[in-house]
Amino acid sequence: MRRGWSAGGLVVVIAAIAAAATLGLIAVRGHNQPESRAQQVQQIASGLHCPICKDLSVADSPAPLAQQMRQQIDQQLAAGRSPDQIRAGFVAAYGDSVLMSPPRHGLGSTAYYLPLAVVLGGALVVLLLLRRWRQPSTVEGPEPDDRAPLTSAQRQALRRAVERLREEEA
Amino acid sequence: MRRRLLLLGTVVVAVLAVVAVLATGLGRDPSATASPLVGRAAPDFTLGGIDGPAVTLSKLRGQVVLVNFWASWCTECHDEQAALDQTWQRYRDSGMVLLGVDFQDTSDGAKDYKHQSGLTYPVVEDKDSKTALAYGIRGIPETFVIDRTGRIVDRIIGRVDAERLAGAVEPLLKGGTQ
Repeated sequence: MRRGWSAGGLVVVIAAIAAAATLGLIAVRGHNQPESRAQQVQQIASGLHCPICKDLSVADSPAPLAQQMRQQIDQQLAAGRSPDQIRAGFVAAYGDSVLMSPPRHGLGSTAYYLPLAVVLGGALVVLLLLRRWRQPSTVEGPEPDDRAPLTSAQRQALRRAVERLREEEA
Repeated sequence: MRRRLLLLGTVVVAVLAVVAVLATGLGRDPSATASPLVGRAAPDFTLGGIDGPAVTLSKLRGQVVLVNFWASWCTECHDEQAALDQTWQRYRDSGMVLLGVDFQDTSDGAKDYKHQSGLTYPVVEDKDSKTALAYGIRGIPETFVIDRTGRIVDRIIGRVDAERLAGAVEPLLKGGTQ
């Protein structure tokens, strides 16, 4: 007998599709290029953590140090430095913790690759489950959990039932 | 049965791993943030003195340099000033320079504080915070210990005491490295 998709399987598939779509959306949005220098400053500043604030980016923080960081970003862009070079300058002074997003190397790379690994692992599990569920069952019988050895009382009851059936047939 | 044990084992290992990561992170002292600058060449700067000549860090090469970021509005900076003065008086003739870098302050505020408190070591102004940003300053006071070759060997976050400074400076003055 062939079985269809179970509710659990559907949930896993939908979750995998949603995760993949989210990752795709993030990847697509990440390629937006700012047009003006002010937008470039805003974009670089929004990727940097304000060093003296709690959970605020340099773009969002009103702190004087964040303002000076924005000024420095602007000056460095005007001097022809690339956004990557500017970020690298702040990382050299503050370390990777100045970045709002974890770096794509070292331990930080797990933040990028772990979700992908989870999605792929989930998809693999779903595929294996689907293959198992869709295999035709050769024996219509009890579920695996019901296949435990019979107790002596059950064996006796079964024997009596079989004897009764035979007597009825006779 | 074996499968269930395997599953249970996996769950237990995963939970223990998460607990270990959280325990490590939560137990860390936030003020002990490692600076990527320690072990590297100190970023050079030339800053104007609040009541004296401008100072260029690279021109102090060959001496042990303490760079202390502070401001007149910073009470913790006031608390450490005696220790800094004591260190300056003790080692100034032995090849050590102590340099105060006034951070996010007014010139008048810094001058007034210097004169009122009797601060004796040279103080320069970091008007646009460029130097503070190059040193990865997160708050003040912060003190950097620079050896004779211009390499940062220590970064002290928060108030310093004379003993800690002596422990950092003396081996460098004797020609050793940390």
